[in-house]
Amino acid sequence: MKRCILYLDLDAFFASVEQLKTPSLRGKPVVVGTGCIASCSYEARRFGLSAGMSIRQARRLCPGAVVLPGDQRAYQAFGERVFDLCRDLSPAVETYLDEAYCDLTGTLRLNGDARGAARELKSRIRAETGLSATVGIARNRMIARLAAGSVKPDGLGVIEPGSEEAFLVGRPVRDLPGVGWKTARLLSKLNVDTVADLREVPRFALRRLLGRLGDVLYERCRGRDTRVVAEREIPKSISRETTFHRPTADGAEIGGMLYYLTERAARFLRTRGLEARTVAVRIRHSDLRGAAASETLAQPTALDPVLFHLAARLLRTVWKRRVGLRQVGVRLERVSPAAPSQMDLLNEASDARQRRMVDGLDGIRSRYGHSAVVVGRSLHLLGTLRQNPDGFILRTPSLTK
Amino acid sequence: MMMHIEQINEPVKVRADFQGGRIRPLRFKRQGREHVVKTVNACWETREGRRTLHYFSVTIESGDVCQLYFNNEELVWWLDSIMMS
Repeated sequence: MKRCILYLDLDAFFASVEQLKTPSLRGKPVVVGTGCIASCSYEARRFGLSAGMSIRQARRLCPGAVVLPGDQRAYQAFGERVFDLCRDLSPAVETYLDEAYCDLTGTLRLNGDARGAARELKSRIRAETGLSATVGIARNRMIARLAAGSVKPDGLGVIEPGSEEAFLVGRPVRDLPGVGWKTARLLSKLNVDTVADLREVPRFALRRLLGRLGDVLYERCRGRDTRVVAEREIPKSISRETTFHRPTADGAEIGGMLYYLTERAARFLRTRGLEARTVAVRIRHSDLRGAAASETLAQPTALDPVLFHLAARLLRTVWKRRVGLRQVGVRLERVSPAAPSQMDLLNEASDARQRRMVDGLDGIRSRYGHSAVVVGRSLHLLGTLRQNPDGFILRTPSLTK
Repeated sequence: MMMHIEQINEPVKVRADFQGGRIRPLRFKRQGREHVVKTVNACWETREGRRTLHYFSVTIESGDVCQLYFNNEELVWWLDSIMMS
């Protein structure tokens, strides 16, 4: 059965959502980002602006650009609506923030021909979200993505089976997945700058130069890419929050609850072999006003003490008013698979001790329940909250994402 | 064009239309002043466990763009932010 992969990319995604939210921004140069550009509208790109550029430089090139800090929740919500439409085409959908791969192999009877299915998908996305998307269709994901890239914005690019090599021939090697700037620089020293140049290099020479990547690039420069399309199982974030039985201004109780919620979130990460890099803390005062803050660690982690140290600091920055709290929550973001031995070399001994401690706790809790051991500031909750074997009984169950 | 976003995050009283499975805010009151929603520019949802937050970006009579959301667990409307030109 011939493979058929559809790649979808939302055009100028963040900026487009902002233009939907604020009609006066439509048709204007819009930049989303703080420090550097995360996304900019096509009107802004005409001035030479692009993702990754500093905001300062962007303002110099386009003084009339509207610069917005961004609204991640809105972008995620719009993205999920688009991805739900993609899932109508195929169960095999792999999604990222503003792009998706759909495996349409074997769906001819369900969707009709791929080109028609793609046109209908674009049309539905525009009708239901107001966003425009560019689609590429090819026999594998690499070519589908490159096909879309060549027809942006709001385009549809189709590369027929058998024409992949011709499509790639004049392209720079940087277009191939797996070729970052370091590999491109190395190849350039050997006068290999285009895909056609790369095809001249024998497999054994590529292998010797680049190891396993050499084998991969040998295939890719010939238009071959066997990577499958699979739904990612890594959650975008893990959150735990709760409402106090009574609003409280007791620092020990609030700190204890935050520690407990952080412990639960971190344990969730560890049981799935994940770690997180960003910690966010959110509170709701008794007068219903809220506040939140987040910060990113230099290295991802799943260790309770590291995550809580940051969460406690964030709590101090957001809880400044002399008003009790009714809700507190922690969210761990930028979740990724835990890398082996990702210890900070300068703090190796300390990291190892912390690792042993949480491993020991996890072992006891997995056998006897989370309540078997109450540690750290969670001790402040003893006597205040009832427990069952799984942990403290909270007023609202911890919310999971 | 200069635009300024002010984060508000206050509960507000909203009069809304609930028809056809959709929510449409019509007007809201904040600090004793009532604002009429001229257009609903965009709407989206975020979910946190059992809680669903229904967001609305609306243009009010002054031309400012307000972001409202309805918390379906607490049944409370919030004014999230105001964008002013």
